[in-house]
Amino acid sequence: MSDLNSDIKQLIIDALGLEDISISDIGDHQTLFGEGLGLDSVDALELGLAIQKTYGIKIDADAKDTRDHFSNVTSLAAFVTAKQAA
Amino acid sequence: MNWIKLEQLLLEGHSERAVSVDPPLNHLALCTQALRLAGGLQQRGVQRIAVHLDDAAELAVALLGAWRAGVSVLLPADLQTHTRQRWDAHVDVWLTNSEELHALYGAPLPTAELDLDTCQLSLCTSGSSGEPKRIDKSLRQMANEVEALEQLWGAELGDACMIASVAAQHIYGLLFRVLWPLCAGRLFTRQQLAFPEDMQRASREHPAFAWVASPALLKRMADNLDWPALSHVRRVFSSGGALPAEAAHALQQRLGQWPTEIFGSSETGGIAWRQGPTLWQPFAGVQLSQSEDGALRIASPYLLPGHIEQTADAARIKADGRFELLGRLDRIVKLEEKRISLPMLEHALTQHEWVQEARLGVVNENRASLGALLVLSASGLFALREQGRRALTQTLRQHLAHHCEALALPRRWRLLRQMPLTSQGKLPQAQVDALLLAPRPTQPEVLNQHPLDDGWTLHLAIPPDLAFFSGHFPKTPVLPGVVQVDWAMHLGQQLLDLPPRFAGMEVLKFQQLVRPGDNIELTLRFDRERSKLHFAYRNANAACSSGRIVLEAAHA
Repeated sequence: MSDLNSDIKQLIIDALGLEDISISDIGDHQTLFGEGLGLDSVDALELGLAIQKTYGIKIDADAKDTRDHFSNVTSLAAFVTAKQAA
Repeated sequence: MNWIKLEQLLLEGHSERAVSVDPPLNHLALCTQALRLAGGLQQRGVQRIAVHLDDAAELAVALLGAWRAGVSVLLPADLQTHTRQRWDAHVDVWLTNSEELHALYGAPLPTAELDLDTCQLSLCTSGSSGEPKRIDKSLRQMANEVEALEQLWGAELGDACMIASVAAQHIYGLLFRVLWPLCAGRLFTRQQLAFPEDMQRASREHPAFAWVASPALLKRMADNLDWPALSHVRRVFSSGGALPAEAAHALQQRLGQWPTEIFGSSETGGIAWRQGPTLWQPFAGVQLSQSEDGALRIASPYLLPGHIEQTADAARIKADGRFELLGRLDRIVKLEEKRISLPMLEHALTQHEWVQEARLGVVNENRASLGALLVLSASGLFALREQGRRALTQTLRQHLAHHCEALALPRRWRLLRQMPLTSQGKLPQAQVDALLLAPRPTQPEVLNQHPLDDGWTLHLAIPPDLAFFSGHFPKTPVLPGVVQVDWAMHLGQQLLDLPPRFAGMEVLKFQQLVRPGDNIELTLRFDRERSKLHFAYRNANAACSSGRIVLEAAHA
């Protein structure tokens, strides 16, 4: 597991106030919203803010697929990496 | 604009009048579909229908069609299993998607004016606010309200497309993003747009637009948005819950206008509005009074004639009729615009065999969520000891999920030996909230202590929620040996005159595990000659651990 994946898992736990969940409980490819980890649309909004703030990146509001990057930890890590390189 | 009264929307179709986009729908097509639905419903003998449609244009078809056929409409808050079970006996048909809508179309009924008093709509509050409540409205009440909205803001909105981040299933969304634009001839978006980026993209597609939004969205809009482009928004409506002052201010900075906040409820419809940090201005025709405890009482053209609705919102009414809100008088809270009854969920929690007592409060961090203070029953404590804290809280969350929406499930749990009641047997909400914010304990609770010739005996209660129980073995919570040594030294220093510095340990023995909720005895003796603190922990039956801590003076 890459460091960025662990960092993002910790960010999810901290930003959303998840108790009794550690980074080892969140799978790299586990679906974050809905059935998977059980997060809701307000969590998605919060996570969007936290990711932008922590990594100093901006979500492109005009791109249609923006929220697809939020489906799991691996896709989020790829998104952060691509944005930081840009 | 060309206003059509709500009751006259099916009187004549206008093909040049647009209703919605993606895919486009004009007023003539809307009428045709509504009249076909009306025919289909009548043909099947349907009298009562439950409607839950994500597409606001289809919702408009369903409402108008049902009313035309004299069918009463129920709008459930969600489609969860228990919601459907709750209302199943009250309706003939559930209409929850496009396919079901189209399947109901029959030979169209003729155009006609709708009856303002016999056309009925029932809104439902969710189970999270207590027993799910049904609120009946006549078409007249809704017609009065959309006309008042048009009087206030119609001219300024002009041909703006109404873009919404809220569901159309609740009173605010239904009025602001469906019925009002329908009468005014304004476009409205079909889908609820939950993300700021979606709102921006939709806004770019229309030369004129206004937002029907809620605090959940408005307080989470960041600087990745194209604010100069968005500042063309004609008006930003916010309702469903209190908009934090900082969020309103940030919008004012970015858009050059204060959001327009609407204060109301499913029961009363709109009560008042304001822009910026000012007093609330009642809508035209709304008459306010107050009960003895200062709660607002509402009479209004959006209620049944003669009805006075008692709210639990405390207020201070000024001489000019405007007012200031002072908070709720009951234990109903709002989380992201959802109404939640704390007593109802506390009751649901105590229905679980693991829970003896429960108190809930709101934890305001990045997002507001519920926190639970629990006193576990004997079986609950057993479950905690055998399975760990996470299994316990997960099980209780699953138990509660049958009673409320996911959003109301407590995210923070604090397990107490007993509720810290006042001498009057009360636990003030402020203290519940403070306990939820406090970190989990790291020290034992000293029940009593007795001096010995050369030391002390202490009776300790091990807090069920001790922070150390979530360490390396979260599924088998045991008190770590290092913590036992640390406690012995700290308690010894409080009771005995000990040298301050730890210099080593001798004959350390761990014989039996110490677990959440245990009551144990600690004996401390200080051998001053050798500068050694002897400690021994035991529970009722057996020795748990013992050892000697070597201490030395600070300068040694």
